[in-house]
Amino acid sequence: MAKVKVGDLDVHVQRLGPSDGTAPVVVFVHGLLTDSLASYYFTLGPAFAAQGIDVVMYDLRGHGRTTRPVGGYRLEEFVADLDGLLTALGIDRPVHVAGNSFGGSIAFGLAASRPERVASVVAIEAEPPTRAWAGHMAEGLADAKNRLARDEVIGWIAENHGAHTARLSKSAYKILAATTLAEDIPLSRTIDDDLAAVRCPVFALFGDRSGLSAQVPDLEANLGRCRTVVLPDQGHSVLVERTAETSELILGWVREHSCETAA
Amino acid sequence: MTTETVAAGAVLADITAMLRELLEEYGQDDAEIGRDTKFHDDLELESIDLVTLSGRLRDHYGDKVNFAEFIAERELDEIIALTVGELVDHVVASLDGKA
Repeated sequence: MAKVKVGDLDVHVQRLGPSDGTAPVVVFVHGLLTDSLASYYFTLGPAFAAQGIDVVMYDLRGHGRTTRPVGGYRLEEFVADLDGLLTALGIDRPVHVAGNSFGGSIAFGLAASRPERVASVVAIEAEPPTRAWAGHMAEGLADAKNRLARDEVIGWIAENHGAHTARLSKSAYKILAATTLAEDIPLSRTIDDDLAAVRCPVFALFGDRSGLSAQVPDLEANLGRCRTVVLPDQGHSVLVERTAETSELILGWVREHSCETAA
Repeated sequence: MTTETVAAGAVLADITAMLRELLEEYGQDDAEIGRDTKFHDDLELESIDLVTLSGRLRDHYGDKVNFAEFIAERELDEIIALTVGELVDHVVASLDGKA
């Protein structure tokens, strides 16, 4: 297991494929609470590495096997971790940052604050970190912290969604209870609604049954270079439930946008 | 006893030792581990633990054993139901060049 020192954190990193300094780099960023780099390690990671891509996967602060500090969970801190990680890994050419859910917000955040770092953003079921996003996060996180504290809620989840989901919910609550994540994220620095801060190409993938797909017109109107795909008959779990399609779409996107990076 | 059953026994012992080491980190040192043991339901391991296990398998057996690919080929419910025995069989087949 590789641990890389980034600031005060020991960041758990897994790298697959060629890391020779010439292959396109894709950094996969996972989502909040129930997630870790495992979501990529067992899905897109091996497939991308097999296609000659330098794949970087890491656990976010507080998640998986990365250090869990009590505080410091505003979006800009997650973004600074990613920036620091790339420096620590000696990656200085622009990378494709692919993020799932909250991971996508981190990808947008890096593109806005360190544009030279980012060849493109791939956002899977994700929102750019605008004020509206901070509002949604505040509501969702307060609700989760409140509900998951109750045993009867975990019991209900076990009955209706199975023991596996109940266990995931318990570990999600462990993070919420041990840290100020739920309080910090709503206080994150946001970007303007016109998304002018994001100047790189963006590929956004949604499920049509997820509320997040309502952003498509705004993304297309505001972002200079943006492609959106909405998968039919699909909710928020695009990465888990539509892995093969997601893999193919993102690989195609990365190939297309790697020529201009290399040029 | 065939060569294969000998190998499977040795692999089961290796994997059991790796799992014990992982479980110790969670203060779980009394788990029973056999072929029918389920990673998720019986050992309460999370997917990130399987990443660690994957690294240990590679360190121990080399690149012949690709646990990430083995998992990637399976559906989520199959991964949740995965048993130690299935992993042992996969490792044995990989070492024999049949996986």
